[in-house]
Amino acid sequence: MPKEVPLGAVTVETGGAVRERHPIGLAAILAAFFWLGVTSFGGNTAAWLYYRIVQRRHWITDAEFLSGVALSRIMPGPGGVNLTVQTGQRLRGGAGAAAAVVGLLSGPLVIVLGLSEAYTRIRWGPVVHGVLDGIAAAAIGLTFATGLKLLPSGSARLGPLAVTLATVLCVGVLRWPMLPVVLCLAPVSIGLALARGRNA
Amino acid sequence: MPDDFRTLLTLVLVFVPLSLLSIGGGASLLADMEHQSVTVHGWTTAREFADLFAISRAAPGPGTMLSTLIGWKAAGWAGALTATVALYLPSSLLVYGAARLWGRWRGSVWHAAVERGLAPIAAGLVLSGGIAVLRVSPGGAAVWLAAVAATVLLLRWSQLHPLALFAIGGALFGLAGLW
Repeated sequence: MPKEVPLGAVTVETGGAVRERHPIGLAAILAAFFWLGVTSFGGNTAAWLYYRIVQRRHWITDAEFLSGVALSRIMPGPGGVNLTVQTGQRLRGGAGAAAAVVGLLSGPLVIVLGLSEAYTRIRWGPVVHGVLDGIAAAAIGLTFATGLKLLPSGSARLGPLAVTLATVLCVGVLRWPMLPVVLCLAPVSIGLALARGRNA
Repeated sequence: MPDDFRTLLTLVLVFVPLSLLSIGGGASLLADMEHQSVTVHGWTTAREFADLFAISRAAPGPGTMLSTLIGWKAAGWAGALTATVALYLPSSLLVYGAARLWGRWRGSVWHAAVERGLAPIAAGLVLSGGIAVLRVSPGGAAVWLAAVAATVLLLRWSQLHPLALFAIGGALFGLAGLW
């Protein structure tokens, strides 16, 4: 089990500069994502990736994580794997992306196949279903906690907060299709960011 | 053409389009996978598909690892590997290209503005993902309550390792199942 420490004594804010001075090795990327894969129960890879790669290791910043999430959701394919590709790419280019994805998927691949081999011997009674419900509840909790930690902060955050609320309302509550919602909200939100940048 | 090879080819022809056309991630993928593997190709029965879904929920990793199990049912180990690669590789290459392109403009004013503008939307999408899973969860009110409790615990107590919470949740609900 790899030790989870931030890189040196540097601060989180300087993620890009840190990576240039201390490039993260491919083996470290592979090991970190392998560990992420085999421990990310409940199916929400993005929330686990935030916990392991951003909060514990400080390999990428909150801002990089969020832009990765946005891109991973509007592109086709599974969101968690898309986010893993981008994170690996950010850490160490094409080789980093490949190491991250192989690391993420190789453990679960063997585990699901092992479980289905053992399937006939497991008694899928109420206890197993109960355990799965408990894991699902914890996974939902981890997802909500991640989303709430990433809420817009700092001065002049009312505009961004309204954008987050609108996203939750349209996509989460009203279940409108995600892509058109994002395509409508993005120009508004980017305009707000530009206006804030000009005032700063 | 031998049968095994034909099955592998069919897996590729089914999963590559799923990979490239499924915007919105897991949930929409699962519905399509069920249709293809139960109704169209008969790789699994409806009952088997439900069992495989339960197995993929119990295992760690992306929920879409269900594709690996479908491939395994259809054509053994070779099928498992083929389905996994066919589902993940095309979309991964696409997103890799997009990430590289996007990284090229890092440092420009509008790159920073787009990144800052997308951040609140991304936070909303993460929260919406939690709501979506909550909605399809078969556990009912107990799961809702436990999910809220888990959220509060994780926010209040940043030292808490999520895996500990998962173990507690699994144990409590497992015991409740026994009772």
